[in-house]
Amino acid sequence: MGKRDDGAGQDILRRVGEASVLILISLADGPKHGYALIQDIKELAGVELGPGTLYGALDRLERLALIESLPAEDRRHPYRITAPGAAALRVHLDSLERVSAAGRLRLQLGGI
Amino acid sequence: MNDPRASRLVEAALRCYPARWRRRHADEAAELATLLIRDGTPARSIAWSYLVGAAREWLTPRPGRRLSAVACALLVAVCSLGVSVALLASTQPARAVVSPSRPPAPAHCPPRSASHAADAVPATGHPQPVNRGPGHVRPC
Repeated sequence: MGKRDDGAGQDILRRVGEASVLILISLADGPKHGYALIQDIKELAGVELGPGTLYGALDRLERLALIESLPAEDRRHPYRITAPGAAALRVHLDSLERVSAAGRLRLQLGGI
Repeated sequence: MNDPRASRLVEAALRCYPARWRRRHADEAAELATLLIRDGTPARSIAWSYLVGAAREWLTPRPGRRLSAVACALLVAVCSLGVSVALLASTQPARAVVSPSRPPAPAHCPPRSASHAADAVPATGHPQPVNRGPGHVRPC
């Protein structure tokens, strides 16, 4: 499958993995620290992120400037989604929505 | 972490991360492990997750880390695997002594002597046809 630029901006989240996307979705309604992220993602998507996976994804997102770390509270660092992060998430969700709609339509047409 | 064993296990896993990562996340990661263990997550699975994360952290190329360092880490991993395989394979000759590849001679065969072995080659020097019909008994 080739790359697709849909005009609304390139979907840079296509290659970052599910954990990173779930973290961005979880941070979309406000800053959270690691434990709160794990709990929220479990509730939101039924996915239990391992702590190693979580920190790997947080580092990757921070390097891409899609999230930023806030000053530590006690020993916990809250993370916040950045403006480019929110924009990237919007593009990705739009793309997922289009694929999802196409899939539903094809299922309907196929009569399955 | 109240359980000292769980605490040691997680701390050992966290020590596997690069120093740069530990400076940034170690305290927070230990705290997170404490909270997850309190919630009932097994310490082993937390430690395993951190171990996998540490391996990924070492193997992911970073701008500050040269590719040769990553190659070295990979080489060390491959060598360790090679040593393990070699150690496993070294038990093979010992087994070979216990059960030699040649099966024991059938009961009807007389004991072999040096002269018998020399006679094994036909006098003509030509290969002899072997008849393996029903009721064939393996020759001595």
